Amino acid sequence: MARIVGAFGVPHTPHFPAIVQRQDPPAAEIERLFDGVARRLAEVEPEVIVFFTSDHYNIFFEESLPIFSIGVAPAARGPSDYPELPSYEVCIDSDLARSIQAHAVASDFDVGMSQEFEFDHSVIVPLHFLTPRMQVPVVPVFISAFVRPIPSSRRCHALGGVIREAVEQYPEPRRVAVVATGSFSLEIGGPRISADSHTGIPDPRWVERVTALLDSGRVAELVEEATDDQLARAGNAGGEVLDWIAMLGTIDPRLPGFLEVQRDYGHAFGAWPVDTPRSWA
Amino acid sequence: MSVYAVNKLCRRVVHEPELRRALSEAPEDAVRAATPPLSEEELEALLAGDVGRLSKMGANHFLLHQLGRFHLLGLDLPEYAARIRAAYR
Repeated sequence: MARIVGAFGVPHTPHFPAIVQRQDPPAAEIERLFDGVARRLAEVEPEVIVFFTSDHYNIFFEESLPIFSIGVAPAARGPSDYPELPSYEVCIDSDLARSIQAHAVASDFDVGMSQEFEFDHSVIVPLHFLTPRMQVPVVPVFISAFVRPIPSSRRCHALGGVIREAVEQYPEPRRVAVVATGSFSLEIGGPRISADSHTGIPDPRWVERVTALLDSGRVAELVEEATDDQLARAGNAGGEVLDWIAMLGTIDPRLPGFLEVQRDYGHAFGAWPVDTPRSWA
Repeated sequence: MSVYAVNKLCRRVVHEPELRRALSEAPEDAVRAATPPLSEEELEALLAGDVGRLSKMGANHFLLHQLGRFHLLGLDLPEYAARIRAAYR
């Protein structure tokens, strides 16, 4: 039987790969933080990654916008939106993906499917740092977090629970890691940008609050406090915390094995290992 | 069909290098050829790079900032940001 062996959260800032490549000042910190998660991800020896992300108007657009969708293609290339980033082809465990979608729909979760798409930077940047050889297939789960109405935190947390059930009912043995990506507070191009950038962190207090709740395993409080108003106050990308909340729904509440916030960016890096393989213990 | 047309044009900018080229070389022709068609007010604001006005008309900021990112319609990211800030000062 398949099981969830760990849950992880990272940002997907599109400029990070170039900063690291050029070894600009924040490079050492970016490498250290991604390494903190990548090392713990490698330690749980995942055979597949369920990947919660929010498409940035690239796969989906206002012409047709599912609240939840699972990618079921055999593979997808990316990134579609930043030609200057390294390009990858990422394998998708489409059998597990279809099985998760079927279980979700049977459980009254109306999750759509996507058959033909390219990943954007929100998938490629994290994988570039976490699994740069792209050796671990993914199951992408897209949560609509930018165009209102967006799903509630409660619904996203419950989606995580349903995906956990689907994994645990999957008949093939699979070690499944869950990765979420997103910021806690971020404004891109809107009125709340900072004085010297086209981005900003409108609600640093919320970044601290989310981090404190994660650090103490208080997931129910996070779900309670991540209201639509709060996420709107956090910026036009504030909904991305829903990806983290869905990720947290796939495991029992626990203390993180690793958690560090990057305040200047309004995001954090976290790891919740669940199951360490025998070979390692 | 309002604002949606602006959002759609900005979204296409990310994925269509030929549209970026057309917007650089003959912006008015490129903007007039957009589908769904833009209103005269949207067209005028786009050609002026008046992202503050487009913002107040309800255009999506994440999509709008792509015009600055790709150096279109007289914008780059610092100029984009300056105009948005000025609109909300």
